[in-house]
Amino acid sequence: MSASVKSPAVRALLPGDVSPETSAPTLTADIDASCRAPVLFFFVSGLAWLLIGTIFALISAYKMHSPDFLGNCEWLTFGRVRPAHLTTVVYGFAMETSIAVLIWLMCRLCRTPLIAPGIITIANFFWNLGLTVGVVGILAGDSTGIEWLEMPKYSTPILFISYALIAVWAIITFRLRAEKHLYVSQWYLLAAVLWFPWLYGTAQVMLLLSPVRGVVQAGVNWWFAHNVLGLWFTPVGLAAIYYFIPKVIGRPIHSYYLSVLGFWTLALFYNWNGFHHLVGGPLPAWMITVSIVASIMMLIPVTAVAINHHFTMVGHFGKMRYSPTLRFIVFGAMSYTVASVQGSLSALRSVSEVTHFTHHTIAHAHVGMYAFFTMVMFGSMYYILPRVTQREWPSARLISLHFWGSALGIILYVVPLSYGGILQGQALNDASIPFLKVVALTLPYLKIRTFAGVILALGHVAFAVNIVWMLVRVFGPYRKPLQMIISGSEQPAAVGK
Amino acid sequence: MNIIGLIIAGSVVLLPGVALLALRWAGESGQLRQFDRQALLPFDEQEPVGQATDQILGRKHS
Repeated sequence: MSASVKSPAVRALLPGDVSPETSAPTLTADIDASCRAPVLFFFVSGLAWLLIGTIFALISAYKMHSPDFLGNCEWLTFGRVRPAHLTTVVYGFAMETSIAVLIWLMCRLCRTPLIAPGIITIANFFWNLGLTVGVVGILAGDSTGIEWLEMPKYSTPILFISYALIAVWAIITFRLRAEKHLYVSQWYLLAAVLWFPWLYGTAQVMLLLSPVRGVVQAGVNWWFAHNVLGLWFTPVGLAAIYYFIPKVIGRPIHSYYLSVLGFWTLALFYNWNGFHHLVGGPLPAWMITVSIVASIMMLIPVTAVAINHHFTMVGHFGKMRYSPTLRFIVFGAMSYTVASVQGSLSALRSVSEVTHFTHHTIAHAHVGMYAFFTMVMFGSMYYILPRVTQREWPSARLISLHFWGSALGIILYVVPLSYGGILQGQALNDASIPFLKVVALTLPYLKIRTFAGVILALGHVAFAVNIVWMLVRVFGPYRKPLQMIISGSEQPAAVGK
Repeated sequence: MNIIGLIIAGSVVLLPGVALLALRWAGESGQLRQFDRQALLPFDEQEPVGQATDQILGRKHS
């Protein structure tokens, strides 16, 4: 493998303290060091958005069964807090952490120290600026009312500037890579980099700048909302899983053939999925049927990924006891299978006529965005942060609290709400049941959801405390070598308790 | 043609075109061969195959 940086173009872009002609071990350390500031900026701001989004989530969840709560404050009415929650966790936490993971993975797999860190820093500033403007706009009542695109259109150009910088950086890094062969994670990452501007740009133009009319709006809306999950978050999440599982257990992926098959079939089928959200809607039936067929075809890449992950892990599940990264990543990988199979089945007309317009859909969205994607991002952060900061995680107890808070919290969120959603759907389809009785039927499940949200919030706070503690050590007098984590050959790397 | 038509036409022509070009590039540059070697790309001299990493909780896994 090509381990040193030979390209003069790359060398010209390298940070001053990174030596281009280094051996493999030093190169890895150089790559991590070069990523430190940009990756930290994105992780820390993503964490801040996670905490803000969690507060919005708790308020929204509580309002669902106690609608008078904060009812006197127009900024915190349900119609504003709920989209503020979605925007902060999706475009704040999920987007920013995924960009940080993308940056680190690209550098590691391209075997190139991070080039032009200034571009990333500026992009981070603009992304947070655009997002702040967007969230304040939503709370002030300027929401567009379009699901997953609630930020007012005056915030969009700022976000575009930021994303363009990230995309340009990713392409330049790929172009100047020292390792010419691509790992499957890079396929996913590069595709996501190209897919997102197409999705976001098309949706912005067709829904906000030059809006299409009638039911086409709903079609474009769900084409975007579904694809941003499948063509941005899913590829980045799978890229991380394909990297971290082999890396942590020290074993190559079970079948590289299957991983490539999984990538190309995802690329082929996912884009057609969005219209299954409009089963029963006033769109041409063939469009919805095509979408349902594509949703079922998604079982091909999902099965390929599930087989690959499972057989890679066989014989190594015990390592989850010792690796926080593996715990979160394996939980996320299993949830990917659950979310995808559930999504394919929910696309069927016979299922959709019960679950559509119910809390079942909300539960399904959280299996995808939290149980799969967020858990994978948490796992990635547990691996990346010690390497870029050269500091260990300060508290093993906080790691455990975070994992169990997140894992149990999301299970408690999803299972009862999915069941309640099915009951709700069946009751809605029964014309003899008054609507208010249907609403009352859902109340126990909504209260359980609020309780689950509190557990999730505890996990998030534990995670935040651990990260802040770690960062204090970065700038404080505490210095402890990270050799045991990096080499994996040392005896117990006992993190402080 | 309005902007919507441009987007749709662009999507229909451009995106499959880019995908085909990517596939062609992958074939010509050897990305679709030597899969066993590519599966080893996450590893290097410092963190080779067979060596677990991130075993930071409790005792080290042997």
